[in-house]
Amino acid sequence: MEKHERDHMRIVIVGHVDHGKSTLIGRLFFDTDSLPEGRMEEVKKACEELGRPVEFAYLMDQLEEEREQNVTIDTAQTFFKTDKRHYVIIDAPGHVEFVKNMITGASQAEAAILIVDAEEGVQEQTKRHAYILSMLGLQQVIVVLNKMDKVDYSEERFEAVRSDISSFLGRIGIEPSYIIPISAMEGDNVANVSDKMAWFDGPTILEALDTFKASPKDMSKPLRYPVQDIYKVGDKRVLVGRVESGIMKPGKEVMLLPSGKKTKVKSIEVFEGQKESAGPGECIGITIEHPLFVERGEIVCEGGSPLSSDTIKAHVFWMSKEPYTLGEEMLFRCATQEIGCKIESIDRKLDSSTLESKEDSPANLSDMEIGEVTLKLKSPAVVENFNDIQELGRFVLTKGLDVSAGGIISTRD
Amino acid sequence: MDRPFVVLAIDALEYELVERFGCKNLKQENYNKTDISEFSQPRTMVLWSSFLTGENKEADILAKGDKEMWNTKIETKDTFLSGFSNPKVIDLPGYSYDKKQHDEERRLLKAFFDTDDPEKKDKIMKEYNKKSFDHHKQVKDEFMKSLEGCHDLVIGYFSMADVVGHLNFGNTAMMRMIYEELDELAGKLRSMGFSLLILSDHGMMSVGKFGDHSNYGFWSTNFDVENRNYRITDFGTIITNNK
Repeated sequence: MEKHERDHMRIVIVGHVDHGKSTLIGRLFFDTDSLPEGRMEEVKKACEELGRPVEFAYLMDQLEEEREQNVTIDTAQTFFKTDKRHYVIIDAPGHVEFVKNMITGASQAEAAILIVDAEEGVQEQTKRHAYILSMLGLQQVIVVLNKMDKVDYSEERFEAVRSDISSFLGRIGIEPSYIIPISAMEGDNVANVSDKMAWFDGPTILEALDTFKASPKDMSKPLRYPVQDIYKVGDKRVLVGRVESGIMKPGKEVMLLPSGKKTKVKSIEVFEGQKESAGPGECIGITIEHPLFVERGEIVCEGGSPLSSDTIKAHVFWMSKEPYTLGEEMLFRCATQEIGCKIESIDRKLDSSTLESKEDSPANLSDMEIGEVTLKLKSPAVVENFNDIQELGRFVLTKGLDVSAGGIISTRD
Repeated sequence: MDRPFVVLAIDALEYELVERFGCKNLKQENYNKTDISEFSQPRTMVLWSSFLTGENKEADILAKGDKEMWNTKIETKDTFLSGFSNPKVIDLPGYSYDKKQHDEERRLLKAFFDTDDPEKKDKIMKEYNKKSFDHHKQVKDEFMKSLEGCHDLVIGYFSMADVVGHLNFGNTAMMRMIYEELDELAGKLRSMGFSLLILSDHGMMSVGKFGDHSNYGFWSTNFDVENRNYRITDFGTIITNNK
């Protein structure tokens, strides 16, 4: 497990829902001999018993079922591996799910593969997904032009689609590291060099991924510890939460935001004991030196410069069929913070597909529109730039039980 | 002697899966569902006995009780087989059923559901599946050899889709693999030029990750017949008329 934490890279595969993401995932698993354990093992054994080959379609069935059962492969359970490292694939079945996942939780991707059907070319959904990558600041991007087998492995077709996608990506500030012609179904240029496209001398997907750099680990960042709850254990008051960045240690001088109260960490409490330190991703409890009144939603911080404000500028991706009209009340949810809010102004609105500005001073946001907005909160929230500390740089806006929008804080103005 | 009429009798071959997995050989030239709505439940022994005799045998079989029904051996004279001079019937419930094999499968199935221990369940399932695969291979060998003999009718009963399906129906990859195996077998028979009827007693439907009998069967032929939902008791006559 420790090896995975040290050596793995999280990648996201995005693109139009019919352009072959599942097949590519299946192919990556198949060609790297990284089949998910479990029932597939039983199928492999059964094939041996009956003297039948293990077919690619069986793996696709398996992945399909995992999705149907919500054992989605965005849960960081599934890995494929190269000689260099392990990769975790982040994925979601549909368009809206993808956008939600990207914004609400699965966005720690360090690299992205944008998949485009070479036959169909660049579609609206391709553009939307690419825009999200740009909004998230993902710089390590591979574009794969899939289904080359359907276009007779034509260099001319490759060049035409390559030109289209490059031009669009250029407009949104993404410069792909590689653009690779592949056939996920046939296994061309995924893990193995294709012998059907001699005109292409670039890398396979795996070779390209292996050139990417892993992000610096969150432990080198300032401490951020959103408080989930406060438990009374004997005579101790334990602040329960998860370390999102930095290192938690007893004796550390910390500030609770947004209240601004200062104190020291007294102890780190875990089940049946105490710890000397805890790093990013660890769920722990802490006690503090001073008997302060602390509530769920406060952030234990050390260092850095978190913003505590009731006015926040952000990019918002509206993903509800029900449009938003200026002034409507919603709930702003960021880490463990839940605060009533409304959008005070929509400063700019873009169509997520064409990226054209829609109106000068729009009064509403509709499904799949992106707004550069100013949010007004009922009380201050603690936020960060998304590229500094992701957990405090992204949020969702909810109306009732529905997630209406996801947002990214990419500026601190 | 002329080439034999061949019946591929497949327990629990599910119409919807034949379609889903695109099993062209199982579908042959004509295919449809069978109508078993006259039976109170889709029971294996009841349905194959009814196929053999051309009569609804539900009352007779159920009267024997749950255990004894598996000993049913209908005499040739009471079946459509009497119209053939040298029929070969491999493992068919109600006639030449390998009771020991199938008793063992039922014992393991019961043991699987009786235990709550996941490790034991896993072990039992593996043993259960393996038994079924081994049995499939044995029946297939015997079946293929019989086609070279001097029989005018060869019926081979294949239970793998039913047996494995009960515990693995939610495992699409496993079911696809089994249907591909059966489709390949059907393809072999078709290429050999026999008159071929493929028949199932009932299909299978999903109950969570497990499978239970669905209330229709499947038939297909490579010879001309009217395409409709036959009753399982109709097929003795269809075979006799097309031999």
